[in-house]
Amino acid sequence: MNARIRRLAVGMLVCYLALFVQLNVLQVGREEELSSDPRNDRQTIRDFNRPRGEILSADGVVLAFSEPVTSPNAELEYQRVYPTGALFGNITGYHTFNFGSTQLERVHSDVLAGTTSAQQLKALSNLFSGQDVSGSVVLTMRADVQMVAREALKDPRTGLEREGSVVVMDPRTGAVIAMYSSPPYDPNLVVVPSSQEAADVLEFLNNFPGKPLLANTYQERYMPGSSFKVITTGIALENGVVSLDRAWPSEREWVPPQTTDPIQNYGGSSCGGSLVEVFFRSCNIPFAQMAVELGPERMVAGTKAWGIGERIPIDLPGSVASSFGEVEDFTDQLPLLAIGGFGQGNDVMVPLHMAMVAATVANGGVMMAPHVVDVTRYHDDTVLERTRPQVWKTPISPSTAATLNTLMVGVVNRGTGRTMQLDGGIQAAAKTGTAQLNNTGEEERSHAWIIGFAPAEAPRYAIAVMLKGTNAEISASTGGQLAGPIAKTVLDHLFRTEALAAATPPAPAAPAAPTEPTESTSSAGGTP
Amino acid sequence: MSTPSPLASARRSTELGLVVMAGAITAAAYTVASLGKNAEIPPIILPFLGVTLGLLVVASIATRILARGADPTLLPLAALLHGIGYVMITRLDDRLAGLQTTWTFIAIAAYVVVLFVVQRTTDLAHQTWWFFAIGATLLVLPIVPGIGRSFGGARIWVSIGPINFQPGEFAKIFLALFFAGYLAERRELIATNTWRIGFLRLPEPRHLLPIVFAWGFSVVVMVGLRDLGASLLFFALFVVMLWVATERTSFLVIGVFLFAGAAYIAWRLFDNVQTRVAIWLDPWPQYEGRGYQIVQAMFALSNGGIEGTGLGLGSPNKIPEVKNDFIFAAIGEELGLFGATAVLIAFVLIIGAGYRIAIRADRPFEKILATGLTTIIGLQAFIIVGGVIRVVPLTGITLPFVSYGGSSLLANYILLALLMRISDSSARRLGEVPDDLTIGERFEARRAARLARREAKRAGRIGRGDPAGAAR
Repeated sequence: MNARIRRLAVGMLVCYLALFVQLNVLQVGREEELSSDPRNDRQTIRDFNRPRGEILSADGVVLAFSEPVTSPNAELEYQRVYPTGALFGNITGYHTFNFGSTQLERVHSDVLAGTTSAQQLKALSNLFSGQDVSGSVVLTMRADVQMVAREALKDPRTGLEREGSVVVMDPRTGAVIAMYSSPPYDPNLVVVPSSQEAADVLEFLNNFPGKPLLANTYQERYMPGSSFKVITTGIALENGVVSLDRAWPSEREWVPPQTTDPIQNYGGSSCGGSLVEVFFRSCNIPFAQMAVELGPERMVAGTKAWGIGERIPIDLPGSVASSFGEVEDFTDQLPLLAIGGFGQGNDVMVPLHMAMVAATVANGGVMMAPHVVDVTRYHDDTVLERTRPQVWKTPISPSTAATLNTLMVGVVNRGTGRTMQLDGGIQAAAKTGTAQLNNTGEEERSHAWIIGFAPAEAPRYAIAVMLKGTNAEISASTGGQLAGPIAKTVLDHLFRTEALAAATPPAPAAPAAPTEPTESTSSAGGTP
Repeated sequence: MSTPSPLASARRSTELGLVVMAGAITAAAYTVASLGKNAEIPPIILPFLGVTLGLLVVASIATRILARGADPTLLPLAALLHGIGYVMITRLDDRLAGLQTTWTFIAIAAYVVVLFVVQRTTDLAHQTWWFFAIGATLLVLPIVPGIGRSFGGARIWVSIGPINFQPGEFAKIFLALFFAGYLAERRELIATNTWRIGFLRLPEPRHLLPIVFAWGFSVVVMVGLRDLGASLLFFALFVVMLWVATERTSFLVIGVFLFAGAAYIAWRLFDNVQTRVAIWLDPWPQYEGRGYQIVQAMFALSNGGIEGTGLGLGSPNKIPEVKNDFIFAAIGEELGLFGATAVLIAFVLIIGAGYRIAIRADRPFEKILATGLTTIIGLQAFIIVGGVIRVVPLTGITLPFVSYGGSSLLANYILLALLMRISDSSARRLGEVPDDLTIGERFEARRAARLARREAKRAGRIGRGDPAGAAR
């Protein structure tokens, strides 16, 4: 019988070997496939059953946190809350049980959940203390500036928010200080416990005119109008096509090559003069001529040097690329190149990119990669990772930047951007834009733009404001008239808070005296 | 009282040490699961855990007294599985902590009682037909109107007053005892082929028929109760015991064919069987229906990965019936591949120890019984683990020592006590430990001595009073 028993034992061992093999297949081999199955919500449940860290603004305002659910029959232990509502919706994104996560909630999900290897390693030492290991994310963005931007976007007469973008950044580091998109959305509406309700909200938001789920600051592109002239002039200066000495005759029309259709100035006026003059008056013809003189190759290469055609390298998902066109689009289409020279035709720019264009001029020709996250932190608020300022592009030389600076100061002092003259004698520099969307003869529709920076002699803030041409009133106005005052309001606020912070002793911080994260970041990172 | 034996005390000290280690692992698991972010177990369960671990130590001490030569690894392995299962059950549903502790108490008590009552394996060898009667009664009990209950499609429960139990868990032990007794007695008769049908040479029908009858009866009853896991277990158990006892491979072959035939008939007759096979082959199309449980088990295992989510950090409660049949998936999720492998290895070691006991045993009855009992544990664990991870079609059955449930725990500790008894018996026979008289035998001997003294005293009195009588 012993031989039979041994054989039986071997047979049993073979059975168990099959179990070991299959166990390895399920837990190791097919782990990825099974874990990523959309019906497998265990990972999400795990995330929702432990605290998730906060997202904070640079001035210490909590933008997102997890609240323990007190209701005893709730399925999940924590509920995500966004105290600032729609103000930072496009930045924080949402973290839902059934519909995934977006924006910072998605990119920094591991940090917030405390599951990065660095956090896990640090948590090992207090494995048994059961401590919360969730990390937090601190932004470079300031809630107060964001709020001022939102207020400024409101129509002064009706009090209703107008569709558009406000982007403020530190030109020296690329740190985004404010980035407000209108229409916004409130992520609190999406993170409701009821999956059906959340689905309804998302469907509503998807179908809402103005696409609130897409941030028009960095996920949409708009025709830039004359604000693009900064880029055209930059390319022309770099290529030696123009200089401050160049002057243009006052003309009403100019017929570019390959067509009989003339190009006109804004409103059909007669416009000309020195480079400074044509820039602050925003004549169209000189810039159309610049583009044609540069030719398709140099013009397209120049726009690429500014990062046009590449996705904006911001630390948020879903950013898009501005677009000018390729050489072959213009070789037989010089009129298109001509109008592209003053921001019409095929040009589309991301509002954030336009802020970066202003920042490049302000920063001596160096374009910094934009970022909204200043630092990620461990649960004990020590630094996990700090964002280092990075150069993205260097499209123009410091001397070109200095020339453009001079030109843009002219716009504020004598030209179309006088609405952006700041309080307290702080010198601003700007370029306005009124992007005409309609063809001749159609109903007028235009976006209103202004881009700029201040103080002109040592810029600390670069700004881009864009109002979408959604109604007749906006369309009937220019960038200088509409966008300029918004930019002024925001910049005035920034300098006022700076002055207050300098005047107030640091200890009992008044609500209006936030710490200056941009200052510290810049000193830490240095300006290349 | 008993002759001192260094080997016996070494075995028992090893056993106690291993039981304490199993207890330490359990306590560590409990600590992790009850503290901090893992907290799924409220701290008030600590006394229950203490009692449970204390009972396992009591079991080891009882073994020291009642079966000191027995294998020292079986009890610690059972304790480890029991401990992991206990923590997992309380983590899944902390209200069960007290109940499971009560069942532990009853199970350990039964272990001690069996070791006490069954002091010699020969006590069991001659009760063959009684065991069959008990086993058969237990099998049909759930059919009896009034006390039989069905849960989840299988009518395998019996409710008498407040007590619910699954008689099938006990039936398997009694039927294994019956088969061991019957086969030990007639294995040679069955093995000789005196009966011919055509080219087939078969044993005398009168030797084979009773066993075939018992076998068929059990399997038909189990199938009738829709307890497919148990049917499979019984079928395989009898074939294996018959094969080992008679040493005739033809029985194994016939068994395999019979199984194939029975499986085919079951597949044709029962929708239930068809669904289970379909789910086994591909559960995904039935995700919303019958395949949900097994897909969730697969999700759970993948979620655990290699190192597991950690106790209290997974979502094993998403799997229906997780604390009974699917507890292995919960272990795989929270303790990972490491924990699940450890549990399987514990079963492999139990099987190894069990078959070693069978090989070391001398008497056919002991050999066949040890083989059968070990096969029960090994096969039952294989059937349910294989069902959970889709190696074989899923048939509901408990995971020995690990799953929640009193009947299963009680039955498995009784089974363990029988294996320990056989092991102790071999140790005595091989002279590894002194073959001292058992408590029963000592009692008998003392009574005999008392009687003898009384006889002698009477004889002496008679002798003193009547010299002539003494001379007679």
